[in-house]
This record gives sequence, structure tokens and C-alpha cells, in this order.
Amino acid sequence: MNRSITRLFLLLSVAFAVLALMLGYWQVVAAPSLNDRADNPQAAQRERLIDRGRIISADRVVLARSIEVRRGGQDVFVRGYPNGALAPHVVGYATPQQGNTGIEERYDRFLAGDYGTEPLLVRLRLRAARGADVRLTLDTRVQRVADQQLIGRRGAIVALEPSTGRVLAMASSPDFDLGRVGGEFARIRAEDNAPLLNRATAGLYAPGSTFKVVTTVAALESDLGYTPTSEFDDTGRLPASGRPITNFGGRVFGRHSLTEALTFSVNTTYARLGQVLGQERLGSTMEAFGFGETPAIDLPDSGTIASGRYRGRTLLPNGEQGIDVARVAIGQEQLGVTPLQMAMVAGTVANGCTLMRPHLMQTITDRGGAVVRENRPEELRQVCSAQTSAQVTQMMRNVVREGTGTAAALAGLDVAGKTGTAETETPGINNAWFIGFAPARAPRVAVAVVLESTPGTGGVEAAPIARQVMEAAIRRSS
Amino acid sequence: MISPRTRELGFLLPGAVIGLLGVASVASARADAVEPGPLPVAAVAVGLFVLMHLALRLRAPQADPYVLPIVGVVAAIGLVTLHRIDPALARNQVLWLAVGAAVFIGVLVLMPDHHVLERYRYLIGLSAVLLLVITMLFGTEIYGARLWITLPGGQTVQPGELAKLLLVVFLAGYLRDKRELLAVPTRRMLGVPAPPLAVLGPMLALLGAALALVVVLNDFGTALLFFGVFLAMLYVATGRAAYAGVGLALFLAGAVAVWAVVPRIQDRVDAWLRPFDDPQGRGFQLVQSLYALADGGMFGPGWGKGFLVRDDGSFVVPVLDTDFIFTAVAAELGFIGALGLLCAFILLIARGLVIAAQANDGFSKLLAVGLTTVVGLQAFIIVGGVIRLIPLTGVTLPFMSYGGSSVVVNFALIALLLLVSHRTRRPWRPTARRRRAAVPEEAPEQAGAPA
Repeated sequence: MNRSITRLFLLLSVAFAVLALMLGYWQVVAAPSLNDRADNPQAAQRERLIDRGRIISADRVVLARSIEVRRGGQDVFVRGYPNGALAPHVVGYATPQQGNTGIEERYDRFLAGDYGTEPLLVRLRLRAARGADVRLTLDTRVQRVADQQLIGRRGAIVALEPSTGRVLAMASSPDFDLGRVGGEFARIRAEDNAPLLNRATAGLYAPGSTFKVVTTVAALESDLGYTPTSEFDDTGRLPASGRPITNFGGRVFGRHSLTEALTFSVNTTYARLGQVLGQERLGSTMEAFGFGETPAIDLPDSGTIASGRYRGRTLLPNGEQGIDVARVAIGQEQLGVTPLQMAMVAGTVANGCTLMRPHLMQTITDRGGAVVRENRPEELRQVCSAQTSAQVTQMMRNVVREGTGTAAALAGLDVAGKTGTAETETPGINNAWFIGFAPARAPRVAVAVVLESTPGTGGVEAAPIARQVMEAAIRRSS
Repeated sequence: MISPRTRELGFLLPGAVIGLLGVASVASARADAVEPGPLPVAAVAVGLFVLMHLALRLRAPQADPYVLPIVGVVAAIGLVTLHRIDPALARNQVLWLAVGAAVFIGVLVLMPDHHVLERYRYLIGLSAVLLLVITMLFGTEIYGARLWITLPGGQTVQPGELAKLLLVVFLAGYLRDKRELLAVPTRRMLGVPAPPLAVLGPMLALLGAALALVVVLNDFGTALLFFGVFLAMLYVATGRAAYAGVGLALFLAGAVAVWAVVPRIQDRVDAWLRPFDDPQGRGFQLVQSLYALADGGMFGPGWGKGFLVRDDGSFVVPVLDTDFIFTAVAAELGFIGALGLLCAFILLIARGLVIAAQANDGFSKLLAVGLTTVVGLQAFIIVGGVIRLIPLTGVTLPFMSYGGSSVVVNFALIALLLLVSHRTRRPWRPTARRRRAAVPEEAPEQAGAPA
């Protein structure tokens, strides 16, 4: 009998050894992949125990910070927003339930203190787990004006510094209260007009006549010898792909220069220009401006969309032949652009045609004040010649001085700009655009404004808003 | 030479230290307020073990000195974990521990010799079956399994726990009786030596009963436990691995048949094989358990520092206090801590089987084997379930899971085991008065070995 008992013990020992092996598999071998799973409440709880860094504006206003509270007998941190709903789409939320968005997601590693030697120091108990502070390029003095201008409207505003690519303001309306995300996420998501959507980077609109700036650059840069004084003749109608293109209000302009065509936004002339240039030339200029690729801004890719020609939801190559190039040239037909992309167009023209990488993070500093990361101005590419840039600037100044964009004029300052009025599927309801920069001679701010579903035009609706934002941006630095 | 009981008293210290350190660790992790709650509870728990120790000192001084301390360590880990989950649970559990200790002492005081049980083996076996039938007829369904009976006061008891103890006693007596018949096969069936059908009959009946349990009570765990213990005892009684193998094969075949027919069992198996296919539904318990295990990692954050209970007091892993208590330990003490707990169980098994090996007679050996296997196998089944080694079934983790029936029965079981150990070293001799009344001519000096 005792032999059987010994064997029984061996059998039970083996069984427990198998238990130990399986347990080790889950706790040691498979643990990292289990911890990474999205629905893991343990991982979410670990995040609640981290004293995340602050998110601060360029003018040192705290946009987000972590506050220690006691929950269920444990010290946990919750995100607090001392300035309410300031730039919620940029700041983003950081919740265990919904995950992170915006800057909270893009710089999560730093905000959560999971960078460099920090995790090691924390593990060795040499330092408390505290995330680094992210200082943004956003200036609340500009941001507040932008937010204010959009109250009660749907649309977006992007303002950036042309010479550096720093984003001074990024507003999207309707917006939401970051403080409510934790508890009322489902209700916010169910609200009308998608308040969670960052229209500045993920809203696709037909650019309308603002796109004529791109067409102008393509024409001036082309081998066809166009200049701002090139002569055109307008009959008020241009047949294109079966449906004739007409001018706004049915106007007929007769003989006029390219400058005048931009100033008064002559559709027929630009459509003809598009046909002459062809999709290949126009496409290569678009490419240079960054159309067709997701802008290299420091926001999560999931919240940033590429601008360009779309068929349904599919992005087409910029230079692909065989579509209505005349309507592309005037910003209609298959074009879908984001306000960020159009601000980049304005900023590039303002910056001698050098495209700067747009960015929101200025510096990341640890709690001791040491700089961990820094975003320096970065040139992406030369889109066109400095001469073309100067010519287009001059033409855009005309738009504001005597053309469709007079409402954007600032007293004592040269403003360059271009309006856009993109028709929607509902007749009489437009998306109103304005892109521009100021001061024209030494630009300090470039801006793009879009308003959804308004009966008015870009010149009437969007230009005054752009003026307010540019004024705030210039006043801040003077 | 240190006496076994003095040695036992010394070895009770680790359990007490683990309990006190654990309470301190939980208190430091939850610095809400310094509540005096856990200290009296810990003191009562320690006191109860000292009482059981004293009972052993008086009634079974020669019993194995390691069993009670090992149980003490396991119970301490269990109580601290319950306290960490919800202090009220630990307070209630200590009350059940008190009842368990009373039963432990009662067994030692009222039953001088476990051989009495052999005489009543059929009565005991019948009561086991009766208990199960009563559960079948009047049981209350909780979590889809009918394992509980609700008493008039609203208190629920698990008769299956007691049935498990009675079954072991019955099997020990029955197998001791039929050992020789079973061990000598009279013919071969399908190339396997088979015992006479008259002896095989009860075995097949038990197999049927166990599978009936699966279907009617929806309790795969208990069925597996009963049948596993039966096979282990059958193997030890006959020394024939083939019997156990054939029995296991039959059981597995039966289990597959049940799986093919009963949709609930299919769900269970699905949740086991593919928990991540439906992490919010069928696989929820298991997936949450695995997440908690992964969070514990190698060393664990320490008692009270893991994420097991939400702000509102609900458990992150369902039924954390009973089925998943092992997960709670592994999540906060890490792989190292959980390994320690598994070692405690294997040590308990080792001591139990040493007692069986040392025992002088067949009944004692089989009884000790059965009692030990029941504890070890039950721990294996539930731990294997929560770490996804085998399909999850709802049996308790001995001495740890919250709940009275399990604790009380397990302490009775340990008392029996220690009684076997004591009687091995000092066989029972009737007192002078009883001797005169029963067999006056027998010489007392020859009956017992010197102490």
C-alpha cells in the first residue's frame, strides 16, 4: 500500500507543479501582452495611480493637471481642468474608461513619466512616479478669441506662426467639457453635431475658392509663363465635364489679369487655368503643400486626416488623371481639406514658400524644470520660389484691400487673404472659408477659418472672425 | 527531545506572523483611518489555533505536529485576503473558524478512536447519498449551480462539503473490506484485468452518481472531486493503476458525453478554451482573473495594493471571495507569493500521505489517503480553474474561500487526520472500566505499544 501512496504523492506533486508552471506563464510570460490589452481594468487602474504631468499653454496657463483624491481607500489621481473647456480637442482627455486623445495621447509617455530612466528610478524608489509637464505652443489669448468667435456656430479655426510652424490656436466647435468625459462620455457622444470631433484636423470640407491660392502657386511655378499680370478673358461661362462653371452671382468679368481673378475670385478663369495646367502640374503643387498625406503635426494619427482628392472615403493620388480638373482648381469636386491643411497653405505662402512642420508641443520639462524634449522649428520643404511667394502675397493683399476679403482688413496692418464659399448639397447653404496671414510684409500669424452651413459667404462670415484671431495673435507678440 | 505538541506550538508562529504582517500591510495600503477592527479578529484567529493546539495536547498528543501549523498558514493567508477584500468578510469568516475549531475539538473529545467509523461505514455512505439527494430536491440555485440548501433562518449551507467527508469515510471502510476481492482480478475485459462484477458494481454506481451530479446539480467540480478521490483510494487499496486508468477513462468518456448533450457545459468549456472570444460575456470571469494575475507579475504589489475592489466595493474579478480567492492572493503577492501558497498545500498533502504511510491498518491508511486527497484535489481543481489550466468549476479553496460549510467540514477533516496520526503512534486502549465491561480476560499490556 505504501508504494501506491508514494506514487499518489508523486502524481499530486506533478499536478501542483503543472499549476505552478501555468501560473508562471500568466504572471510572468504572458503578463506583458495581457497588460497591453485595451479592456484590461488593471492597466487602467495603474494609470489612475500616476501623477500625470501638467499641460500648460505658451503663456503659462494650466490647461490640465492631476489632482490627488481618495477613492475606495486608495490615493488616485484624477485629471482637473482649471480653465474649463479651453481647447478640449487639443488637450484631449485621459480617462481609464475611454482611453486618451489629443496631447494626452500623443505625449502620454512623458505625461505618465514613462520615459528615459524614470521608470527605473521609480522602481528603485529613488523618485516618486510623476509625469513631465508639456508646454504647448497654444496661446490662450489667441485661443480664447478663437473659441469665442465660434460660440453657437459649427466650424474650426487654426492659427499658426508661419516662420516656426507653432500652432497658436486650434478651435473646433461645438466643443465639450473635458471634466465631463469621465462620467458622461456616452451622453457627450450622443450629442448633435459630434462635439468630440476635432474639426480643425479631422473635419473634411470642400475648400472652395481658398484653393485658388494653390492653383495660383501652381500657375506661377509652371513652365507656362504665367505672371500676376497674365491676361484672361471671361464670358461668364466655362463648359467643364458637361456642366458649365459660372461665377458667383452670375458675374461676367471680361478682360482681367490673374491678380484680379484672385481678388474677385473668378471661377471661370481659374477653371480654365486648371484645364491648361492639367492635373499633373496642379497635383505636384498640392503634393508640395502636403495634400495627400496626414499632416506631420504632433497629434495622434487617429485624430488627423489627410487633405486631398477623395472618392467616397478613399484618398486619391494628387496627380491622378481623368477627373474634372477645372473644378479641382476652384476647390470643388472631390476635394476635401482640413482647416489645418489650409492654415499650412497660408503659412507657407507667408513664410517665403517654406513649409514648416506644424507643432503643438513647445517643450517638455520634468518636475525639476529640466527640459526633456523640445520642438525646434523644422523646415519640411520649399514649396515654391520666394518670388512666387512674394507675388501670391501681393495678390492676396489685394483680396483684402479691394476684393472679396475686405472684412478681414486690420487698421494699420497689411493683411493678405483669400475667401472661400463652398456650396453644400443644400442650395443657399455654404461652408464659409477664409485663409490669410498678417502682417503681409513680415507675417506673424497665418490663419484658416471655416464655418459650416451658413447662408453667408466666406468674405462676410469667415473674414471678420479671421481678423479677430489675427489681431489677437499680433497683439500678443507686440 | 522536544515533544510533538511543543514543536507544533512553535510552528504555529509563522501563521500568526503572516497574519499580523498581512493586516499591517493592508492597513498601510489603505491609510483611510486606523481602524482597530482587524486586530481583535486576528487575535481571535490566533486564539482559536491555540485552543485547537491545546485540544490536541490533551486528546491526541502524539499527532503529527506539522498539519495544524500548515493549516494555520493557509488560513492566515485566506483571512488576510478576505480582510483586504472586505473587512466584514474576514470578521464573519473568523466566526466560522470558531465553529470549525469547535467541531475540531468536538471530534477529538467525543471520538477517542476513528475505527468506530469503520463499523458504521454503510450508514455513513447512505447519509452522504441522502445529503446529495436532499440538495438535488430542495437545493437553492446560486450562480447556476444547485449546491446550497437554504435553512429557515436564511442561512445557506453546502451539504456537498459534508458529503465529501462522509464519502471518504465510507470508501475507506468499503475498500478496506473488499480490498482482497478487488485486487485479484477473476477475468479480463477488453484485455484489462477486471474484478468480479459484484465488487465492480458499486464503483460503476458511483460513476453514474457522479455524472448525475454533473447534470442535475450542474456541478462538474464536485463530481470531479468525488470521482478523483474514489480513484485515488481505489488505486491505493488495490495497487492497480489499471483500475484508476480505466475509471478515469470511463469518467472522461462520460464527461464528453455530457458535454455533447448539455449546452451549459458546452458554454463552460467554450469559456475555458476561448475566453478572449467573449471577454465581456462568457469569458468575463476568467479574463478578469487572468488580467489580475498578470497585474500581480513576479513579485506583486503587496497585500492591499492591487486593484481587486472598485470604489463602490464591487469586485473587479467576480466571486473573488470564494472561487477566485487564489486569484486575489496571486494578484497581490505575485507569482512568488502564490507559489508559496501552493507549496503550503503540497506540504499539507505530504504530511497527510506520511500519516497514511505510517498508519498501522488498512482502514487508517485509506482514510488518511482519502482525507488528504480530498483537500489536495479540491485545491488543484479550483486553482487550476482560475488559472485556466482546466475548465472552471465552483469548488472552494480549502481553508481559504469565504463560507462556513467548507471551513467547518475541513476542520473536522483535519481533526480526523490528526486522530489517525495519533492513534498510529498510540493505539487506542479501552479505559479500565470499559475493559472490564467488555473483554475482562484480555491483557492490556499487549494491546498497546509503549508511548
